[in-house]
Amino acid sequence: MVVQLDAVRRLLRRLLTSEVDLFVASVIIVVAVLLGVLVARVLGGLLTDAGVPDEVEGTLFERTAQRLGTSTVKLVSRLSGLFVIAVGTVFALQAAGIVNAGLLTEGLTDLIPRLFIAALVVITGLVVGDKAELVVGERLRSVKLPEANALPLLVKYSVFYIAALVALGQLGVATAALLVLLGAYVFGLVFIGGLAFKEMLSSAAAGIYLVLKEPYTIGDEVVIDGQQGIVQEVDVFVTRIESDGREFVVPNRQVFETGVVRMRN
Amino acid sequence: MSDLRDLVGDMTNGVDAVLLFGPSGSYYERAAGADLPVVVVAQENTVDAEHFVDLPLEFADVSQRIRFGLEGALENELLEEGSTALCAAKTFAEDIDSVVRVRAGEFARSGVYELFADSRAEAHIIRDVLEVAIELGKKGQKGKPVGALFVVGDAGKVMNKSRPLSYNPFEKSHVHVGDPIVNVMLKEFSRLDGAFIISDSGKIVSAYRYLEPSAEGVDIPKGLGARHMAGGAITRDTNAVSIVLSESDGLVRAFSGGQLVLELDPEDY
Repeated sequence: MVVQLDAVRRLLRRLLTSEVDLFVASVIIVVAVLLGVLVARVLGGLLTDAGVPDEVEGTLFERTAQRLGTSTVKLVSRLSGLFVIAVGTVFALQAAGIVNAGLLTEGLTDLIPRLFIAALVVITGLVVGDKAELVVGERLRSVKLPEANALPLLVKYSVFYIAALVALGQLGVATAALLVLLGAYVFGLVFIGGLAFKEMLSSAAAGIYLVLKEPYTIGDEVVIDGQQGIVQEVDVFVTRIESDGREFVVPNRQVFETGVVRMRN
Repeated sequence: MSDLRDLVGDMTNGVDAVLLFGPSGSYYERAAGADLPVVVVAQENTVDAEHFVDLPLEFADVSQRIRFGLEGALENELLEEGSTALCAAKTFAEDIDSVVRVRAGEFARSGVYELFADSRAEAHIIRDVLEVAIELGKKGQKGKPVGALFVVGDAGKVMNKSRPLSYNPFEKSHVHVGDPIVNVMLKEFSRLDGAFIISDSGKIVSAYRYLEPSAEGVDIPKGLGARHMAGGAITRDTNAVSIVLSESDGLVRAFSGGQLVLELDPEDY
């Protein structure tokens, strides 16, 4: 018993004096590995609780991951665990004085978080892009137009493009040209969209007032822009008034431009 | 055995069309191979059938389901007046287990298909209101049987043919039938007298309305009370349809154009 205690004490002393750096380094590595495993576990649980597996269901990325015997949640949580271990390893190497502290580690500590964030952004971009395509496609399913099929693809590749841009930016690649392209794309979208939806937007703005304040309601007899009739329906975009079997669908914009006459009797 | 086969085979002789009610994919394939026009009647066109009649409500009564399918097929000209149709439907089992041979047009048209397809309000709005009425009839208001009257569609005209009995609890609110919370509200308000008015798009316009249609020429079965009379008459005066839950016998009835077109027992659903 005494002999054993003595041996441990001697070992500790040796470690704490001559090879203290190595001891600290190994402690850091052990803690980093434990922390990494813990992070992977907890993150996996959290993501599962948050319903991520259901959300990513059916996306291309998830299906590919499934084919490879893993899943999006597993990949993300393992990646986070690896990140923690990698950071710990860099610290350990620094502490042990194995590598030149100034030169290599500075680059490494800088690069590892960037790599990690870039990988996360790529995964998120792939999943969100695919999911957006599915959701938009679902919405447009009742519209049986060939042109409508292009919209989900456009949404998907827009998300991919932005994700790629963010990831490249993280890695420090020059993205100025790509940014200009994105700027032009967004400008075109906003400008042309604004132009196309101008009437609808002003109708919707007027419609919100009409719906909230109800200056006239279903059943009232009104005159809007010379059309007299009974109000049958008021929604955000249009007001439907009917008289003698003729139904006028009046954009709410018109209601504000010409005003309304309510017939009281 | 061969006698039995002949007996059943007689059913298929001289049939002009086949109506399948909620068939599985393989069943549809087999029927489509029989060189007769096949019409699928179901809630969803899962088998990609060429001729399809949308069933808005899974009628518990098979004869009602068949009647709806036949009237829908006649209306869409998938079937000619007077032609003979073979209807295959589910009665007890999960799969198709019964075959009925009917001559289309040998019964009086009830208008149940028009109630859903040709009403001013969309079919799913009418279905939602029917479901509220059925649920109300099943559970009642806190266990007691309750009556209710819903007038659906042509709300502007209905509002002008009625007057308020009390303050309208739905004023400046924007609630539509089909929301679960709205169904609870409708149940609560059904305690008070008067009709619910629902617009073409399903917006609940008002509760507590006293209907004042002219009841001239309304033909509803004898023995029904004032609520049914008011519900029937308003559909003659306007283009609305009305759905009435009877307090005394617990049945749900739908009226259109002043006529009784549908009668359901909530207990079956």
